Amino acid sequence: MGDKSSGMPSTLVDQPVVPGDVVLDVSTLTNRAIKLGGGLRQDADLIRVTKGGRLRFSKPNKYWVESSQMRYVPFVEDTVLGIVIDSKADNFLVDIKGPAIAFLPVLAFEGGTRRNIPKFEEGTLIYVRVVKANPGTNPELSCTDASGKAAGFGPLKDGFMLECSTGLSRMLLSSPTSPVLEEFGKKLSFEVAVGLNGRVWVNAESPSTVIVVSNAILKSESLSSTQQRIMAHKLLEKVH
Amino acid sequence: MEIDRTDGRSPNQLRPLACSRGILHRSHGSASWSQGDTRVIAAVYGPKAGTKKNENPERACLEVIWKPKTGQSGKEEKEYETILKRTLQSICILTINPNTTTSIIIQVVHDDGSLLPCAVNAACVALVDAGIPLKHLAVSICCCLATCGHVILDPTKLEEEKMKAFAYLVFPNSINSILPEGSSHTKSKQLEDGLVTSVTHGGMSVEDYFHCLDRGRAATARLSDFLRKNLQSQVLGEGSKAG
Repeated sequence: MGDKSSGMPSTLVDQPVVPGDVVLDVSTLTNRAIKLGGGLRQDADLIRVTKGGRLRFSKPNKYWVESSQMRYVPFVEDTVLGIVIDSKADNFLVDIKGPAIAFLPVLAFEGGTRRNIPKFEEGTLIYVRVVKANPGTNPELSCTDASGKAAGFGPLKDGFMLECSTGLSRMLLSSPTSPVLEEFGKKLSFEVAVGLNGRVWVNAESPSTVIVVSNAILKSESLSSTQQRIMAHKLLEKVH
Repeated sequence: MEIDRTDGRSPNQLRPLACSRGILHRSHGSASWSQGDTRVIAAVYGPKAGTKKNENPERACLEVIWKPKTGQSGKEEKEYETILKRTLQSICILTINPNTTTSIIIQVVHDDGSLLPCAVNAACVALVDAGIPLKHLAVSICCCLATCGHVILDPTKLEEEKMKAFAYLVFPNSINSILPEGSSHTKSKQLEDGLVTSVTHGGMSVEDYFHCLDRGRAATARLSDFLRKNLQSQVLGEGSKAG
């Protein structure tokens, strides 16, 4: 595990790292162009870790620290669940659990013109896509996909929203399908919208289905796949 | 020239350490740190948009709230808040999230000596739990000077009250690096030998103070390892489900 006394590790990739650890020395690399993802920062010639987590590397040259937090760091092309806080003349102000409030232009809808601006009340839950996310500025959102179609973006009615960590969101969106969603999907009918910012929306015909699915999702964060299936079966027996 | 401590520890021996992460479900980051009977819980909320009135909007703002075990917050708590705020400001990278506020709330569960170091350690773990970008971790220890001139580490409340002088010291943690030992990076060497915060009570001579610093720095290696193991065990638990 990178024990200092036994000599320096040749690489810290796939190891747990804490803030301050030096993972790369840029001056010793043959290929000088590397991409740094979240949790890493360049400090003159050294690449240091700023967040605790596990260091990952993907070929050819991308490094990042994988960690799970309750807050979200906005990134372009992420699909997130936002809550409308306010509406201005040109934008809706939307909270996406990031360090800054995001703007959703009033025209960023399929077939959106000045005449048919949607009216979102304070507290509306919307499924949106992040269009711009630069550090220090307010992120920009959109309710259309890249080609201008609605593609499922927009307000989510009824249902129940729960807050979780970004790690759980990524796990729910991973492929193959997350075991907890798969097992429940076989027996119950419900719909789920997962935001990469740590918000999940669940809707179903009966409230008891919504409750059991929400609780199962929250519990599944610390369980392995087999444990998730066992938990799902136990809960399904109780419901039926 | 052995000094007798009431609980039978040697002068350089620390009390049993215990640390847990993510104990509060509603906060964005939380940690509990205990050294012997002294226990502190830290909670972190943020980063949230907007800074306070007189703060620089080009940097992130840190706000510390210290809650004592009993009674109202008074001058002593205000002093702890200021010391903790300055310590944490020097380990956080403030330029990453400008115009945001991060709140750190410290709740004292039990005070049995060495309270401020315990709070610094708890706050550091809570900041890592919340994902606030940090330059490095901070490990903190209390060194006190007995009347006979011996330096004792991690005193209990009774020992602290009997001492001639004591110092709360905060050092950067020891880092894992892929660089070979003795490399020519002078900056990283300076980082490891640095001192983040030093708060002293009572009077001691300059040699005694440097003696305290050396003992404290040596002890922080153990604290650093404990901190690293604790932070890693959480990561390993999630590692099995990495997407």
